[in-house]
Amino acid sequence: MGVWSRLVRTFRVGHYDADIEEELQFHLDMDVAGGHHPREARLRLGSMTRIHEETREAGIIEWLDSAFRDVRLGWRQLRRTPGLSLAVVLSLTIGIGANAAMFSLVDAAILRPLPVSDPDSLRLVAWTNVGFPPGADNINGEFRRTEGGKTQSAAIPASVYRRLAREQTAFRALMGFGAETDAIAIATGGSPAEQVRVQYVSGNFFQGLGVEPVRGRPFNEGEDRVGAEPVVIVSHRYWRNHMGGLPDALDRIVRINAIPAHVVGIAPPGFFGVRAGEWPDVFAPLAMKVAFQPGASADGPRGEDDRNWWVRQMARLNPDVSEAAATAQVAGQFRAMAVPEGVQVEPGSIPDLFTLPGRHGLDGLNRADTEALWILMRLVGVVLLMVCVNVANLLLSRAVGRQRESAVRLALGAARARLLRQHLLEGAILALLGGIGGLAVGYVIAQSIHQLFQTGRDVGSAFDLHVDLRVVGYTAALSFLTALLFGLVPALRASRADLNDVLKAQSKTVRAGLPGLPRLLVSTQIALCLGALVAAGLLGRSLEKLKTTDIGFDRDNLAYASMSPSRAGYTEDRIRPYVERVAAELARLPGVLHVTPVQTRLLSGGGNHASLNIPGRPYQQGVGAHMNRVGEDYFQTLGIPLVSGRTVRADDIRPDSEGVVVDELFVKQFFPDGSPLGRRFGIGPKENSGFVIVGVVGNSRYNSLRNEPVPNFYQPYRPGGTVHFAIRTAMDASGLAESIRRVIASVDPAVPLTEFHTQAGLIDRNLRTERLLSFVSAAFGLVALTLAAVGLAGLLAYLVARRTNEIGVRMALGAASGDVIRMVLHDSMSIVVTGILLGLPCAYAVGRSLRASLFRLEPLDPPTAGLSLAGLILVAVVAAWIPARRAATINPIAALRQE
Amino acid sequence: MPKAELQGALELLVLKSLRRGPNHGFAIASYIQQASDDVLRVEAGSLYPALHRMTEAGLISAGWQMTDAGRRARVYAITAKGRRKLDADGKRWQAVATAVARILRAT
Repeated sequence: MGVWSRLVRTFRVGHYDADIEEELQFHLDMDVAGGHHPREARLRLGSMTRIHEETREAGIIEWLDSAFRDVRLGWRQLRRTPGLSLAVVLSLTIGIGANAAMFSLVDAAILRPLPVSDPDSLRLVAWTNVGFPPGADNINGEFRRTEGGKTQSAAIPASVYRRLAREQTAFRALMGFGAETDAIAIATGGSPAEQVRVQYVSGNFFQGLGVEPVRGRPFNEGEDRVGAEPVVIVSHRYWRNHMGGLPDALDRIVRINAIPAHVVGIAPPGFFGVRAGEWPDVFAPLAMKVAFQPGASADGPRGEDDRNWWVRQMARLNPDVSEAAATAQVAGQFRAMAVPEGVQVEPGSIPDLFTLPGRHGLDGLNRADTEALWILMRLVGVVLLMVCVNVANLLLSRAVGRQRESAVRLALGAARARLLRQHLLEGAILALLGGIGGLAVGYVIAQSIHQLFQTGRDVGSAFDLHVDLRVVGYTAALSFLTALLFGLVPALRASRADLNDVLKAQSKTVRAGLPGLPRLLVSTQIALCLGALVAAGLLGRSLEKLKTTDIGFDRDNLAYASMSPSRAGYTEDRIRPYVERVAAELARLPGVLHVTPVQTRLLSGGGNHASLNIPGRPYQQGVGAHMNRVGEDYFQTLGIPLVSGRTVRADDIRPDSEGVVVDELFVKQFFPDGSPLGRRFGIGPKENSGFVIVGVVGNSRYNSLRNEPVPNFYQPYRPGGTVHFAIRTAMDASGLAESIRRVIASVDPAVPLTEFHTQAGLIDRNLRTERLLSFVSAAFGLVALTLAAVGLAGLLAYLVARRTNEIGVRMALGAASGDVIRMVLHDSMSIVVTGILLGLPCAYAVGRSLRASLFRLEPLDPPTAGLSLAGLILVAVVAAWIPARRAATINPIAALRQE
Repeated sequence: MPKAELQGALELLVLKSLRRGPNHGFAIASYIQQASDDVLRVEAGSLYPALHRMTEAGLISAGWQMTDAGRRARVYAITAKGRRKLDADGKRWQAVATAVARILRAT
């Protein structure tokens, strides 16, 4: 029975097999019971296993089972060359990981629709107008000129939005929300106030988007009313991180800018609002803006100001009404309400509403960031291609090694298709392992890049990054595509093996020519690597140039401290003495040399630009200068030299002061003839000349390092809602952060330090996209270089191994080890040179495609190209040296004995 | 005769035997042997693959039953589809057999 049971066990695959076995056993027993000798019965039954096999073949089980056995065979084959398999899986992990990471970022930032129900039926509402609409003083959010001299923007007054949403019937719903989020201070329980972003929304916002709070309820129409009791909905992450994730959060009162508000709901976990990349922690009805953020001035309008256009609209299409008809209805209604009574309107200058696709909400990224993401996406694509080439080469060398095995199997009657399938299956196993590894590595890379992206931005800027089906699907598709790409060539080659050729070749005689395909693949890899290096080099040099741009003032030992007294209830008349006190206290700190209040921190990214109205020159919208309001010590603090006239004086700091200071570029551009001192100019389209130039100072950069310098002019300081102080210190300014925080808390504990930045930090923040690009592309450039080195070294090692006999013969005939090294190096250099020749046009194309992201650099920047080439050649020589050394140490006797 | 034809004949015989009522593989083989006066011997090596193939095709259904002796046996029964196939193919087979016999006699 021993053989019998062993046979049975061998074929025991599962329950199905046991059934067949039992059935056959039954047959056997019945035969014996019928009077036959067991031995005869067994003979009559025939080969148990054969019947078993054939019976099993009848079912689908057989198909799965044979595939399963092929997978097991494949796994065993891979285990036979563990080093090579590990190298393949690791390369794939890197390549696929980098791509999965970039995809999840691009997906979160650009591709994925809003996390709301049926995003495809959403439309953003915007308008065009000839010039600035009459009736508006301020327009929030996007604002740009279209071809034909029109203005395109989207925001409208809150009260007009409410009437429109109430009266329109063409859309299923018309939701409203602040065109920009606002910074507020929020405090829960006894904890200190924290800076978060608030998104003001209409009463129908959550219902209209189909977003259900996980706890509590959405807002209702009655709550979006000036004077209503303040209510808020908090984000899921705020609830989890700051309210302990407790259900009783709903009954809690939070203080927003010191105003108590009820928490009525908690948003779902992935809901970030309407703009990917911006994640407000508080949602409040539109009308709450008046309560939470009253104007700094005490005598300002108490209610909502219809001259402030700040509400954007999103419409949900009604399936029964065409988009065009609905837009026409709403546009007509808007025209009727847009302009307040009593305002004279020229024909054609009433904003004309139109709709845009709303599936993705508002643009998550600015143009530079989007461009940066695509650049990185292309770069990781190159890395993946290099990985594919590497893996194909590794598998190819293995397939060549297995040619004898393949040929024998073919000669013994194995089907070619079956061999091909076996090879592809092995590729698929590798791809699967690489894909799993890539998913894990990709998650880590994506989180790190996200973190890099966030440095210097506030907590409100975050993407919803998580591994979802889209990312897994993309990774899986990528893995199998690569498996096909790298697996097919070696598979075809292995299954094509001809027994005669292979067995003849096994005599291991000298082979004159080397296999062409692997060499070409490595050359391709070097070409791709050159492209990646040039990209990284150009982006790095670009950043370096930006960093060393002359900014016109001393960036070291300079810091800015900011606070918002208006959020603690200060009115304008109380802010002025507050600012004076803080300035005096700060100046007393040891290590502080100068202190001055300033309206706009330089190179912080924000600021004001004014169109100038100069007597005797035609007024032109958009032609003007940057404007800043500065304290008396400003120029001394920043280190901007006085050229002529005087700087701002203490007695200038009053509301009706006319004197302004301008910079040399301003003079050059607007007052090129004669002395500028005493000359007058104004701002805005109306004839006016309210300013008189009292001094000229040196040029400085205002808010951009990249753009051409723009003229500046300086008005005397006047406090606003947020107060910034520029502080010149004797040592590294970052060391003073803590003492500055204490000083500010000592003046009034209700007004905390909200921001503290060194000037260098602000510049870094200004260059965050460039830094991200340069850092990540350098990292991927290194990966590319490593891959190229591994590819070259691997190929040469393989070639040397194949030529062991030849080298042995050469050495036996008197070749010195130096000759052998030279031979291998010479061989490798021909591969490298081919690669470089292929890579030069590739590098040029890379440079051209990066042009928009480069700063004062040509696509074929000689230092970049030279350095990339030098680096590549150096690495190639090192990579070739190792196999060359090994070739030189071949023992001729041992090599010949292998024959 | 091609293999497929022979297989078809075996299937026909199996269906015919099951027409009398559900039965297990050994009984099916025994029936065919007896009914053909020991002329046709069905080998297990052909029978069981055929039974499983026919089950997959839905011509017969299979299930486990206890025999009188108290053993578990896999028992097959003809399905409606099997009946239709038996009727159709049975007639055709008879026609072919008669025709072949006629030719053989004529020579």
